[in-house]
This record gives sequence, structure tokens and C-alpha cells, in this order.
Amino acid sequence: MPIKPDLVLVDDEERILRSLAMLFRPHYNLYTTTDAHDALQYVRDHRVHVIVSDQRMPVMRGADLLREVRIASPNTMRLLLTGYSELEAIVASVNEGEVFRFINKPWDAAELKQTVNQAAEISFDLFSSQPSVTPPVTTFTETGSFIAPQPEEGILVIDDDAEVVKAVREIVGPSQAVHWASSLDQAFSILAENNIGVVISELFVKREPIALALKMLKAEHPEVVSIVMTPFQDTTVLIGLINQGQVFRFLPKPIRRGPLGMNIASALRHHRALKSAPKLRTIHAVEPVRQIEDNNVATRVMGFLSRLRNRNLGSFGATP
Amino acid sequence: MSNAAHITGSEIAALLTRAAPLNPQTSINDVGELFLQKEYAGLLSLPVVQGGMVIGSISRYQMIEIFMSRFGRELYGNRPITQIMNTQPLQVGINQPLEVAAQHVAANIRTPISEDFIVTDNGRYIGVGLVLDLLRALEQRVAASTASIAEAYQQLKASQAQLVQSEKMASLGQMVAGVAHEINTPLGYVRNNVEITQAVFEQLRSVLTDHEHLLDLMAAEEPDEAAIHAQLLKASAASADLRDGNTLDDTGALLKDTLFGTDQIKELVVNLRNFSRLDQAHVAEINLNESLEQTLVIAKNVLKNRVEIIRRLTDIPTVSCSPSQINQVFLNLISNGAQAIEHDAGRLLLKTESDETHVHVSIQDNGKGIAQEHLEKIFDPFFTTKPIGQGTGLGLSISYQIVQAHGGQIRVASIPGKGSRFVVSLPIAAVQPQAQAQAIAA
Repeated sequence: MPIKPDLVLVDDEERILRSLAMLFRPHYNLYTTTDAHDALQYVRDHRVHVIVSDQRMPVMRGADLLREVRIASPNTMRLLLTGYSELEAIVASVNEGEVFRFINKPWDAAELKQTVNQAAEISFDLFSSQPSVTPPVTTFTETGSFIAPQPEEGILVIDDDAEVVKAVREIVGPSQAVHWASSLDQAFSILAENNIGVVISELFVKREPIALALKMLKAEHPEVVSIVMTPFQDTTVLIGLINQGQVFRFLPKPIRRGPLGMNIASALRHHRALKSAPKLRTIHAVEPVRQIEDNNVATRVMGFLSRLRNRNLGSFGATP
Repeated sequence: MSNAAHITGSEIAALLTRAAPLNPQTSINDVGELFLQKEYAGLLSLPVVQGGMVIGSISRYQMIEIFMSRFGRELYGNRPITQIMNTQPLQVGINQPLEVAAQHVAANIRTPISEDFIVTDNGRYIGVGLVLDLLRALEQRVAASTASIAEAYQQLKASQAQLVQSEKMASLGQMVAGVAHEINTPLGYVRNNVEITQAVFEQLRSVLTDHEHLLDLMAAEEPDEAAIHAQLLKASAASADLRDGNTLDDTGALLKDTLFGTDQIKELVVNLRNFSRLDQAHVAEINLNESLEQTLVIAKNVLKNRVEIIRRLTDIPTVSCSPSQINQVFLNLISNGAQAIEHDAGRLLLKTESDETHVHVSIQDNGKGIAQEHLEKIFDPFFTTKPIGQGTGLGLSISYQIVQAHGGQIRVASIPGKGSRFVVSLPIAAVQPQAQAQAIAA
């Protein structure tokens, strides 16, 4: 990095700020504050590469601050510090704040440094890119008609429940290809034979966990945008899906068509942006998967990914 | 005959004496003779039956009245028994349950007890029974059902204890999660500070080595001026790095924070221990102001940043109670209060005061309040207005039991939309917690 990146630290506990400041001061231009509004104003007035915010603060929650930061400065990479995993906050920070990473207290200093460094590098790239490739800011409140379908960008639904794929088909209309996989193996073969831009997935299909496959898919193909739609609520799994899978949205079941439609539109738009600007894909750099929960699935996913690479199918690897 | 089988199966049948009934035409004199016969020796009265149907009864007592009155035997002796019989004798249906029969007999019997009851089947005479036998049978029955009630009570108590235990585990889990969160913040910076200090320590070690080397060079028998000069530059540059970066001052501040952080963790752990009091006696003399403070630390996670705590604590005498149970009550009331607040200007008013006999702890919130129709049910087990999965409906019921077992009272007042107030009153004079308290503590 040519110059010191700008890092904003927000926490209502001053001792956390002092501690983090000492960790980052040698390599960053630092701005630390206990006031979320102050932090937001700073982000509006300055080019900030990375912001790390505590979740639990008086006045404004971290997830809310990061949502505002994303709107004010989408190129600023957003990290959320949490002491206690609250499902609602996690879902909000993903769907509205599009956070890069969750950091659990107490953190590992070396690891945190590495994560923030990576975020700063990505942000530098984003700021140095053409402004036009900045990913469009989409929120839950967005209205308007569904975006123009492009048949070559398929949507893959991975779910046992036929109602889900039916709902998706009705939302996107007949000119957008919607594929349905009701098992992991089916999903592999659809991915191999079709251009897939957006994956809408349950976390368990035929009692087989899908999370790992989604993480590995994202690591290999950052331009594929994934929406997880599930009634399953486990904060650890969701945090893992963000840090290691960069899942674009978490939607609860039962399906609500309004939000689902808006989020599919956002996901397609996001996919197009990623496809047109390979540099953007670094936003979705993922952590290596630390522990392989299910070796069987891992082996199959790896096998599938390598087959895909060897065949050099145009579906994923077309862009240089 | 199916009827007979039916009869032998009934409880009343077991008490039956199949005495031959009197014919309505039997004279009073003859009845007097009959009463003397061995066959009727145990009976107080004899039934009068016409065409199989009971029409009355005559008792020894009535006979004595006639025979003992002047010329009674002469005046009445030849008249039929129907003239003096009791036309509303005590009757019991053969298929009536024992309890119903006993109830009917008790309600209609005359004193002194001078008659037996007649057993009929739809008005048809079957036999007679002794009131005393009926009472004895009933007594046996009561003894048997008391035993089964006692057994059912034991089972109920066991399952209630299990429920109380699971409620305790649930609130303990909530509490532990909250405290874990509270500990994570100081632990976060303490750990980071130690890692930073470790790096600074390495830096210091290398500066020290540089200076030692410099001293060695200077103390040499034949000092090498060039080497001394080079080492001097190196050592002073390293020192300057430390000084200019303000490293030592900053590290000093971090170490101060670290001590503060470990103290905070210690305080949380001490509070957690005081709160559960697992290492202390079941009953202790405690100041409820302290209990409230300990509970507030534990409840901090529920309250944090959302609810303003207003304390109006006065000097109150100590009360003798089980601290962990009373803390459980306070935690329940405080977290309920906090949960009832759905707006941003949440306030929880904690008041303590005492009179001559009791200490009163009042916990008042400005939350959504409790609807009038719910108010009388809130202490009932399993009553909850919280969504499924969020409340067992046992919290308040257990609190109620705990306070009651301490000889105290828990009262509630609420205005929907304005808030609720719970007042816990505990007696100052020690009350031996009853068996119930032990069941809860178990």
C-alpha cells in the first residue's frame, strides 16, 4: 500500500479503543471515537478505508452504523466487533450493512491485524477503480420493477421444498432461467452445465449441510452471489457463512415474496457488477475454512470444483 | 338374573342384610314380638313392604314409645303397623356410590339414630343396612383415597420440582450468557494489551541488549572507538524510537487498563458467586439493598443502554432469607420489568423501605403494563403472555412461592400503557422457611 490507510475504530468502551489504537497506530491513520454519529460524520467527510465498530453501543447499534456507512461510503470495508452473538444484529448487519467480517471478542491480535490489512487493501483497490464500478447500493426499502432478465444468468435454487422454486419462478418471470436442485449432487451438475449468477439456498437439503459447499463455491467463484433462505437460526453458522462464505443475504423462512423479489434483483445486479469488474470480486475475499465440518461433503465439493476447473467450462471461469 | 349380578357388584350390596320385610297388615303387637327375634336382633328398624315396594319403616324406638306409654299396648296393639310407621324411611339405591349414599343418609337421618337404611332398586325392596357399617366403609374408602391423593401429591411435587429446576436452568443459562458477554469486553482489551505489551517487551529487551553491548565496548581494555561510535548510534536510535513513539507511556496506560479490566472481570465473577451463593448457607442474614445491587450486575445484559435505573434505597434492617432464592426473585422481577419496556425512555425504579415488621422492595417499570384480566393470573404456573419459546410461565409463579415460603408477600399493581409495580415484602423477624422453600431449593 502506497500510503497509510485510514482506519476508524468505534466502541463505547474507551479501553477497547486505546488497546486497538496501539495495535494499529504504526501502520494506519487512525480515528477513534466512542460516538457512532461522530464516526458516521467522519466517514462522510473523509476517505476511510476500513471501519471497525462494536455492535452494542448506546444511541446506535453497530449494525445500524455500518448500514449508514455503506450508504455513505460503499468502498469503506465494514467490520463488526461482537461480544455476544445476537442473531437479529447479525442478520441486519449482513443484509443491510454487507459486512466484510465479524470479529468476536476476545480477538486474536495477529489475526485481527491480518483481517484489517486485507480489508484495507481491498478498499484501496475499490477507491482506485473507476467510480462507475462501485457496487450499487441496494437496500430493503428499494422499490420499483424487477430488473431486466438476462437469460444467460441462471438462478439456482437449492431446496427440498418445491414451493420455494415455484415462488422464485413466479417472481423472476419466464425469461430468467431458474434451476432447481433438491440435493447437493444435483446442485453440482447444474452448476457444471449452466451459467449461474445467483444461488438461493437452504442450509440443509435432504438432511445434508450445504453451508460448506456455499463457502467453497464462493472461495472459488466470488462472482456467484448467494442468498441463504432458511428457518434455521444459529449465530455461529451465520457468522461462519459471512466470514468464510460472504453470503449476500440471509432471509428467514417462511418466504416473504416482497423482500425475496427485491433481494433477488439486488443479487442479480450485484452479480453483474462483479462480472463486469473482476477487481470488485476482492470485496468478497473469504477466510479459509478453518475446520471442515463434514469431510464427505468437503471431498465431494473439492472434486466437483476441480472437475470444473479441468473441463474449463465457460460457466464460471470465462472472465480472466 | 343380570340384576342380581349387578347387585352383588355394588358397594352398597356389601353392607346388605337381607332381612324379611314386614307385611303392612302386621299388627303392632306382632311387630313387637318380631323385634325380639334373633333374626332381627342387630336391626334398629324394620322395613314395611307392599307388593315388593317399600312403603315405610318402623323403629324399635317408636315401638318403645308406644309400649312404654300408658295402655299403649292395649290401645294400639291390634292396629296394623301402617298406622304408626314412618312413611319416609331412609332409602338408598343399590347402585348408588358409597359417597352419595353416605351423604344422603347423613343429611336425612334423625337423631338420636334410631333407624337403619333401606336398600332399594328403583323403589323395590332389597334389604337393609346399618348406618354404622356405611360410615365404616366410608372411612375405609377415605383412608384409601387419602393414600392415593398423597401419592399423587408426591408425584406432583416431584414433577413441579423438575419444572422449577428447568426454569432455574433456563434463567441460569440466560444469566451466564449475559455475564459471558460482560466479561468479553474487558477480556478483549486485556488480551490485546498483553499481546501488545509482549511486543514492547521484546523491543525493550533488544534496546537493553544494545546498551549492554555499548557498555561492554566501552569497558574493554583497548576500546575500539569506531565500534563504540557505531553502537552508540544504534542504541540511541533504538531508544529514540521508543521515546518518540511514546511507546512506554502508551504501554503504561495499557497496563493500567489491563489491571482495570481484570478487576472488572473479578467483580463480575464475585457478583456471579454472590448471586448464586452456592458456597454459602441456605439461610443468611442479608441486606436486600445489596441483593438488589448484585442482581443489577447480573441483569446488566438485559438492561444495558436500554433502561435507566433509578435507586431509592433507604437504610433497611437485614432479613433472614435464602440469598440465592431472593436474588432469583429480584432477577425475575427486574428482567420482566425490562422486557415490558418497548420504548426508548425506559426507567426502572427500585425502592426499598421498612416498617416495624417488614422490609419492602418495590420494582417499578414504565413498560406496557399488564391487562386487568391477566393481573390475577400472573402468579399462576404456566401463565405467560410472552411468545412461545420465550417464557415458561413459571418465573413469577416460582417467585411467588419463594416469597411465600419466606413468610413474605408479593403484590402487583399495573396500569396498561403506563407500567407495573411489584412489591416484595419480607418479614424482619426470622421465619423458618417451610418445607416448600426446601423443595424449591432442592
